[in-house]
Amino acid sequence: MPVPKIRLNRYSLMTLDWPKDSEPLENWLRGQYEIAPSLMQEITIVLRPSVEHRTEDIRHAVDVLGRLGIELIGLTGDPCHRTAAATLGLSWLSSSTGGVESELGPCKIPEDSLRERALVVEGPVRSGVQIYAKDRDLVVIGQVSEGAEIMADGHVHVYGRLRGRVAAGVGGQTGAEIFCVTFEPELVSIGGTYCGFDQIPDNLRSARVRVGLEANAQTLTFTSMG
Amino acid sequence: MAIVVTVTSGKGGVGKTTSSAAIAAGLAQAGYRTVVIDFDVGLRNLDLVMGVERRVVFDFVSVISGEASLNQALIQDKRLEQLSILAASQTKDKDALTEDGVGNVIEQLSDMGFEYIVCDSPAGIERGATMALHFADHAVIVTNPEVSSVRDSDRILGILQSKSKRAKEGGKVKEHLLITRYDPVRVDQGEMLSKEDVCDILAVKLIGVIPESKAVLKASNTGFPVILDAESDAGMAYSDAVARFLGEDLPLRFVTPKKQGLLSRILSGGD
Repeated sequence: MPVPKIRLNRYSLMTLDWPKDSEPLENWLRGQYEIAPSLMQEITIVLRPSVEHRTEDIRHAVDVLGRLGIELIGLTGDPCHRTAAATLGLSWLSSSTGGVESELGPCKIPEDSLRERALVVEGPVRSGVQIYAKDRDLVVIGQVSEGAEIMADGHVHVYGRLRGRVAAGVGGQTGAEIFCVTFEPELVSIGGTYCGFDQIPDNLRSARVRVGLEANAQTLTFTSMG
Repeated sequence: MAIVVTVTSGKGGVGKTTSSAAIAAGLAQAGYRTVVIDFDVGLRNLDLVMGVERRVVFDFVSVISGEASLNQALIQDKRLEQLSILAASQTKDKDALTEDGVGNVIEQLSDMGFEYIVCDSPAGIERGATMALHFADHAVIVTNPEVSSVRDSDRILGILQSKSKRAKEGGKVKEHLLITRYDPVRVDQGEMLSKEDVCDILAVKLIGVIPESKAVLKASNTGFPVILDAESDAGMAYSDAVARFLGEDLPLRFVTPKKQGLLSRILSGGD
């Protein structure tokens, strides 16, 4: 007989907390189902019922999820539900390893979750040249000429004279910033809020400058970096 | 393999053709077999500046289209044995320049033993200019000390480093800056950008500053490359520029206002 291959593997599974008052969650799930029914069907989850739930409540939860096409792998949580899992024919996953708690709600992607590393460009970036760093930061080593355009979804750093147009947070990332060694841009924009050279404070022209967007997302703030 | 030197600027009227003629003649004087090609198809001028306008039978476009051989189209300069000229067609337009055609001509010239191929680019950033810079190993950027010329030069530098063959293959075209029509008096008065300002904006190594000079216009009109006029300031400045291009280290001349003597000041009405 050949030697059986047995390996220890770890799988990531999503765990859904089933609160005591499950009504709002059920409605939210139904709403999501209407928006994207096929997406829900690809989800496999583990259910963590609230301690107060009895077997009947858990059966109700399983029914609700089943109707939405969500496949349930098993139960986890308080050991008192272990028997309920056996009764309902579900497997029991002991939750000894504390996972990262995540709040269920409208999915929030942090603004700074730029998955790729920065795009580094060796200058000079000449007049008429456009550079766009999609989903990441942009670093320019050297000058950016008048008439050039540099853009990024993330931050923009310029280690040289910046004379062209610069835009950070092009995809609406209002937390993006611009850092520059010699600041003389034609146009500055962050998250769609922009201003021209005339609106830059006089004392910051040609200086080492950091540009951000105020909390109201209406005004650009310029700070000297000394 | 021949070294391709493209003389370009973006803007018109800054002195590309004068500089192409001077650089080609200077390289030939230095002993290199050199050919200068006019890429300004439809608006040819190089033949006039080189004084060969009466000797053009076949041209660059007729070679590309196969109507004539390269030997038939090349015009041997009468003053410099090492120098040949390939004129542009005056009747065709720039669409006649194809990448394969131009590449083929450059390859043939290289096989014929030419060491330097100087390409005189037309103004603009359209086909003629992009074809002239496509095969460049070196680029001489001609700029006047004036903002629009400097900006256009910046633009052409960007095109050079993105659209040339070398750039597309991951390399870099070697850049040289040549400032022409420089008037040190007007620079001192703040009416003209200084050479430092221009270098600061373009960030390219300066190989020469050619002073504004009556000798240039006279040379063009008589079909005599100004570099061969060893008495003129412009001629000397071009000689220096070619020497620097070939790697020599020379100080810049004619970049400070001439001190006027008392007599000339009186004669010129205290100007």
